[in-house]
Amino acid sequence: MLMCKDLAVIASDYIDGELPVLENMSVKMHLMMCKDCRTFIGNLRASTDMLNAHSSGQADEELIRKIDERVALALKEGSQDPTNQDPD
Amino acid sequence: MTDSALQKEQALIEGLKARNDQSYQEAVRTYTSGMLAVARFYLDHSSSEEIVQDCWVTVIDAIQKFEGRSGLKTWLHRIVANRCKNRLRSARREVSTDFSEALEPELADRFNAKGRWDLPPKLQFHDSADTLMENGALSDCLDKHLSALPETQRSALMLYEAHQHKSDDVCNILDVSASNLRVLLHRARQKIFLMVENFQETGEC
Repeated sequence: MLMCKDLAVIASDYIDGELPVLENMSVKMHLMMCKDCRTFIGNLRASTDMLNAHSSGQADEELIRKIDERVALALKEGSQDPTNQDPD
Repeated sequence: MTDSALQKEQALIEGLKARNDQSYQEAVRTYTSGMLAVARFYLDHSSSEEIVQDCWVTVIDAIQKFEGRSGLKTWLHRIVANRCKNRLRSARREVSTDFSEALEPELADRFNAKGRWDLPPKLQFHDSADTLMENGALSDCLDKHLSALPETQRSALMLYEAHQHKSDDVCNILDVSASNLRVLLHRARQKIFLMVENFQETGEC
């Protein structure tokens, strides 16, 4: 029988739908009977959602100012950046 | 893109090639947010800002070879992505995740010998993710913990979400097997879960 700890081990696979059918069924059975694991799975899922809500990038003024300074300096120096890479 | 937008972009590119200060200022303001968003798929906040700054310095020379096969924005995003991937490749050698251990020790300790919860999660994260992230302190705390994750765990987590759960793409970028990706993802998620739980219970990061 699937124990709580076993479920914690495969929790991400369950959330992402990566479990084989039988294992997926035993997780579902366990969750029907176990409130603690339902809370755990719900919270683990919420943590991931939170990360998505968090990760959008927005440049702030401080960063723009730093870039302006570095670019101005590099332009003045006739920069030959040694780490220059052709992106293509 | 409309004709006038194309002309505007072409004029901007000419200005960049001519090393014109004002063109750089305009381009930095137009494209930096997008570049930062690309970097955040791969890296934590402060490393992303660092990479984007470095990219702009790179652009000064690289723009001379820009032939306009893609738009300026796409070209800039590709520079950022390549830099991030290089950073990850070099970091990967430093990071060691124990792939045989799927549970974080801190979580594993919360089960008894029979495998039942000794210390179950007490609170449910009721609020929606967006509501929770409006809490500035929690958002800062998440940043701090993301920065503290081993680089491959963090990138696995961010890339997996950013690439809409396409494991093959993420495995290619990180050069890890599918099963190791699953471990990286799960370990990273547990750390974030433990952090949010601690924050909700104590209000401290």
